[in-house]
Amino acid sequence: MELWIGALNLGFLYAFMTMGVFITFRIHDFPDITVDGSFVLGAAVAGVLLVHGVNPITSLLVAFLAGAASGMITAVIHNRLNVNGLLAGIIVMTGLYSINLHIMGRSNIPLINQVTLMSYIDRVNPGLTPEIWMCLTLGGATILFGLIMAWFFKTNLGLAMRMTGNNPIMAAATGVNVDRMKILGVALANGLTGLSGGLVAQYQGFADIGMGIGTVVIGLAAVIIGESVLRMRSIYAKVFSAIVGSLIFRLMIAVALAVGMDPTDLKLLTAAFVLLTLAASKATAGKKAFKTALSHFWSKSAWNGRKVSVAVCLVLVLTVAGWGYKRYHGSPAAGPNKLYKIGVVQLLDNPLLNMTRDGFLAEMKKMGYESGKNCVMLEENAHGDMSTVNNVLDKFKQQQVDLIFPVSTACTQAAISKFKDRPVVFAGVASPFIIGAGQSDTDHLPNVTGVYGGAPAQKMMDIVHRFKSGQFKIGTIWDPSQANSVFNVGQLQDIVKGDSDVTFIGTTVTNSAEVSQAATSLVHKGLDVFTLVPDNIVYSAFESVLKAARSKNIPIFISDVERLTDGAFCAIGYDYTSVGNQAAHLVDRIIKGEKPQDIPFEKNKKLTFGFNLDTAKELGLTIPPDLLAQANVIVDRKAEATAKAGHPTAAAPTSTPSSGQAASALPPAADKVTPAADKPPEKRLVVFIFSETPPIMDTRKGVLEELTTSGVLKKYNISVDDKSAQAEFYLAQSIASDIMRLNYDYVITLSTPALQIMAQANKRIPHIFGGVTDPYRMGIAKTPEDHLPNITGVATMHPVSATIKAIREILPQAKIIGTVWNPSEATAEACTYAARDAVKQYGFQLVETNISQVNDIAEALNALVRKKVDALFTSGDNSINLAVDFVGKIMKQHKIPYFTTIPTDAGRGAALLSIGADYVEVGRETARQAILVITGQDPKNVPIKNYVPEKMVVNAALAREYGLTIPDSILRQAAEVRR
Amino acid sequence: MIKITDLHKTFNAGTANEVYSLRGVSLEIAEGEFVTVIGTNGSGKSTLLNAVAGTFLPDSGRVEIAGVDVTRQWDFQRAKLISRVFQNPFAGTAPDMTIAENLHLAYLRGKPKYPKTELKTSRRGKYRDEIGQLEMQLEDRMDNVIGTLSGGQRQALTLLMAVINPPQVLLLDEHTAALDPKSAAQVIRLTKKFIERGRLTSLMVTHSMSQALELGTRTIMMNKGRIIDDISKAEKQRLTTNDLLDKFAELRKTERLTDEMLEELRRDYI
Ligand SMILES: Nc1ncnc2c1ncn2[C@@H]1O[C@H](COP(=O)(O)OP(=O)(O)OP(=O)(O)O)[C@@H](O)[C@H]1O
Ligand SMILES: [Mg+2]
Repeated sequence: MELWIGALNLGFLYAFMTMGVFITFRIHDFPDITVDGSFVLGAAVAGVLLVHGVNPITSLLVAFLAGAASGMITAVIHNRLNVNGLLAGIIVMTGLYSINLHIMGRSNIPLINQVTLMSYIDRVNPGLTPEIWMCLTLGGATILFGLIMAWFFKTNLGLAMRMTGNNPIMAAATGVNVDRMKILGVALANGLTGLSGGLVAQYQGFADIGMGIGTVVIGLAAVIIGESVLRMRSIYAKVFSAIVGSLIFRLMIAVALAVGMDPTDLKLLTAAFVLLTLAASKATAGKKAFKTALSHFWSKSAWNGRKVSVAVCLVLVLTVAGWGYKRYHGSPAAGPNKLYKIGVVQLLDNPLLNMTRDGFLAEMKKMGYESGKNCVMLEENAHGDMSTVNNVLDKFKQQQVDLIFPVSTACTQAAISKFKDRPVVFAGVASPFIIGAGQSDTDHLPNVTGVYGGAPAQKMMDIVHRFKSGQFKIGTIWDPSQANSVFNVGQLQDIVKGDSDVTFIGTTVTNSAEVSQAATSLVHKGLDVFTLVPDNIVYSAFESVLKAARSKNIPIFISDVERLTDGAFCAIGYDYTSVGNQAAHLVDRIIKGEKPQDIPFEKNKKLTFGFNLDTAKELGLTIPPDLLAQANVIVDRKAEATAKAGHPTAAAPTSTPSSGQAASALPPAADKVTPAADKPPEKRLVVFIFSETPPIMDTRKGVLEELTTSGVLKKYNISVDDKSAQAEFYLAQSIASDIMRLNYDYVITLSTPALQIMAQANKRIPHIFGGVTDPYRMGIAKTPEDHLPNITGVATMHPVSATIKAIREILPQAKIIGTVWNPSEATAEACTYAARDAVKQYGFQLVETNISQVNDIAEALNALVRKKVDALFTSGDNSINLAVDFVGKIMKQHKIPYFTTIPTDAGRGAALLSIGADYVEVGRETARQAILVITGQDPKNVPIKNYVPEKMVVNAALAREYGLTIPDSILRQAAEVRR
Repeated sequence: MIKITDLHKTFNAGTANEVYSLRGVSLEIAEGEFVTVIGTNGSGKSTLLNAVAGTFLPDSGRVEIAGVDVTRQWDFQRAKLISRVFQNPFAGTAPDMTIAENLHLAYLRGKPKYPKTELKTSRRGKYRDEIGQLEMQLEDRMDNVIGTLSGGQRQALTLLMAVINPPQVLLLDEHTAALDPKSAAQVIRLTKKFIERGRLTSLMVTHSMSQALELGTRTIMMNKGRIIDDISKAEKQRLTTNDLLDKFAELRKTERLTDEMLEELRRDYI
């Protein structure tokens, strides 16, 4: 019911605008685009006045006058300067954007705590359901207004106005001042539009700079639809067709929503609908012309036309509604046991909002809430249309949603003004206080709670200061119509105010095309650092900023970590996924019975912080080691390459939840396992790997084998989860935080990045690492005994020296060994240092080439071939590891023996000989370290083990191909010989 | 009633499309005179009527109506004094409004239009009687929109609208040219009737020599933006249509001659 009533209410409110559009479009015969601006103008004026305590009725009157004034300007431009009406409208609409922003002072005025017309109406409710009462009063008011309008068009003045639009020459001949009449008409039209804007703002509880987009299109569609339904020539019918059209338009949206149609398709549906009605009226018009001759058929044909369009509307609405009924009632949501319903609504598709939403959904799932089973999750997206948000919320009301989860400020604002009787948990809001959700974290609307926080401006500035000293200028670009951006820029400006060394310069933009110019202008003003706060437009046009910044070597600090790979220098921002996670826990608490009133607003907890090392190099900036150590995301092109080889970004973390992990405490979920009396309480261990490269997979295999065979899992009732970041830093990041949140009892990380990221996130859970070359360089430990208290593990240096020794034995004549490595990889660096020492010992010369990503490998190898190396040696480099088969192939073409420190390389045919750690063994050893901890030792007292179970694999087949003889001494040591 | 003194008008001055349409027209018309205007295409007849109606401002010269200098007045200001019927039957009415509404607005010509409803039963009765004079059975279709009427019906109605509130000056610009002969004859009959009844000062442009001679108290002839002949009522009775046609033929000759002379001159100079 609410959905339909809500749609009617909106229809009535928008009907004022539709009547305005009817005046310009049908009476004056031009589509006036000014309404896109005057709608917002009315909302802005009414909003500001309400905030200043002006009576709502007066505020609406002023909204009408303001709208009328804007219409007057359009008409004057059109008449006096002889500018085409469409163009005049566009000019005024464009100008109004700035004027509206000035009037509002910001992009959004919350009216939730103001006395509005709606609260007046509520006050005089004789005892009906509020929605129905609202609908009756609004409907009554609109119909009354329609009657007044129709009467007006019957008066001498109204007749003259109609004649002006219908035949201006004739109008002038009867003494009508055509110009003045046009001004009057367009002013009246925009006055009505302003009134409509003021009404809608009061109804939805806020005025927003973006609420006018597409108004004229909605108006035109409504007029055309209405006309085709009420096909009568009387002026009463014409005026009322505008109202009816507005109602039908809103009902259509409601139907589409009820059906579960994606709102993306709404616009298409509107277009189809308008086209269909136009076609229907065209068809009957043709018939009409034919039948005028037989004049007694005329009245009948008019009825036919009306019948056709009424039928078209009915059929459309009914089929869609019928389908909707089936889907809605056929869905598992409407089962006999009422399930808890959560309505998720977001304003638009935007990567950051999506991350928050997905974070929320994933976390909910993890906590055991499964849509259709023990709860119902209704997801809606308004695709950027503010009025659709209202429809969505009405739909939620209709579906008796128990809790609303709005993502983003605009949705939250709409939700808290619409819902007073059920919990609203928000996320993705920079400041809930500016939208009237509360006065402080604890003192807030009784049914509202959520997670908020702007960009960490102070932290960003602190980091900027580490790179810039003395006087310098920072700058940012933002869209003043985005509430979040304005808030964040304000924060930044406040900080800079108290900082005498820093000057703030900024530019605003209204669309992504303007970003390039804005960035260039800032650069010309002598900007030293870009500090970009979250802004949809600027972030989407990041490339433009980057280009401008590169021209003068200006570092970019940004809040969105994803932009690091695109070339930002430093990113520090809130982790949008974790915002969703955090909100999910609030929802969980509410479901379990807590009152939103008692749940304080939470700030975004988790930061993501990172650098792009390539950019740093380009800019000639050195990152202080302590900052680097704090960073949880480090990007260089190698990482990008690794990511490419792995899964695409933003894949959900792979995890296999164990039976008991999801502490599901939903009312119906009574499946919690009570531990058997003879068993110790269940503990949970997680094995976290960074990427699925062969050595790491081997290590993992060893770990799992050893854990299982040792019997420790059974004995201590330990369940094991498995997580892989798929070579993706962001994923690794969220896995780490997930591990913390789920509060595992033990963590085993395999590979260096997994260790690093986990160590950063975790200071308490016992953590055992393996598959790591050098934990000492990473600040995990100084010596095997002196290490971080909760972390221990196994360090496995690559047997570089042993491999070089083997090369000497196989190739006694060789002089030059070539190597390829990526200087940004810690392990590769360590191995290369070791190789430099070893070649001296065995009388070789080492020729090095550097790569920064997988794509560089071919070129690097060619360079080595040209330098006539006798052998190729690689060790510890991830890029090479990923491309080892390719390297082997190239070497085979040039008949250059290839040596590595990973046994499987020779085993699979890529290398001639490999001496490396047996990673399965390493895994076993790692497991043994873990077992020490599980059985009760404090990790602090478990020294790190330096353990290299050397394993040699010889590819005898390849040696034969090259005509080389492998000395027996070597063959005897080999664990495996490939024949 | 109308006094025009040395009126000049050039359209699109200074461009390739420059047309010198009125080249010093002076004309005085007494109250109650019915003047027919003839002339070749493009001779400036419509321009002269537009100058009187105030569609544009003249470059120089003066227009007085009923002793008032209206030279600088807008057309809608002069509407108090003047009403017009155009050649195009679509131009004189508002097609989407009803017959009654059109008549009512015509009745309000030159009066201020306030937001009050006056189109009530009593007034409708008056309009009904007026429409009856057209003898076109339109009195039962008062609430039909004009768009549903035929061209002849429309033009008759426009004529009625022009005189329903008697003007000081009535301007008719080839108002029967677009009609079929039968409708044209009917409209001419009505024109004569209304003008005689109201003793209206009228200016009527026509292409029909017989109409020009038959109707009105005076005929003027225009060529190239000038009045080249002014035929009084007495003289009109002596002339036949053939005499008028001869006058045109003469004009054509002189024109041709001028062209030839121009050619010669050009040749001499080059
Ligand atoms: N508004 C205008 N803009 C430009 N030129 C114009 C305009 N009105 C008239 N003219 C030009 O002035 C000249 C006289 O035109 P006018 O309409 O007065 O001729 P007319 O005598 O009425 O001819 P017709 O018998 O064809 O109606 C023509 O060359 C015409 O093109
Ligand atoms: Mg003409």
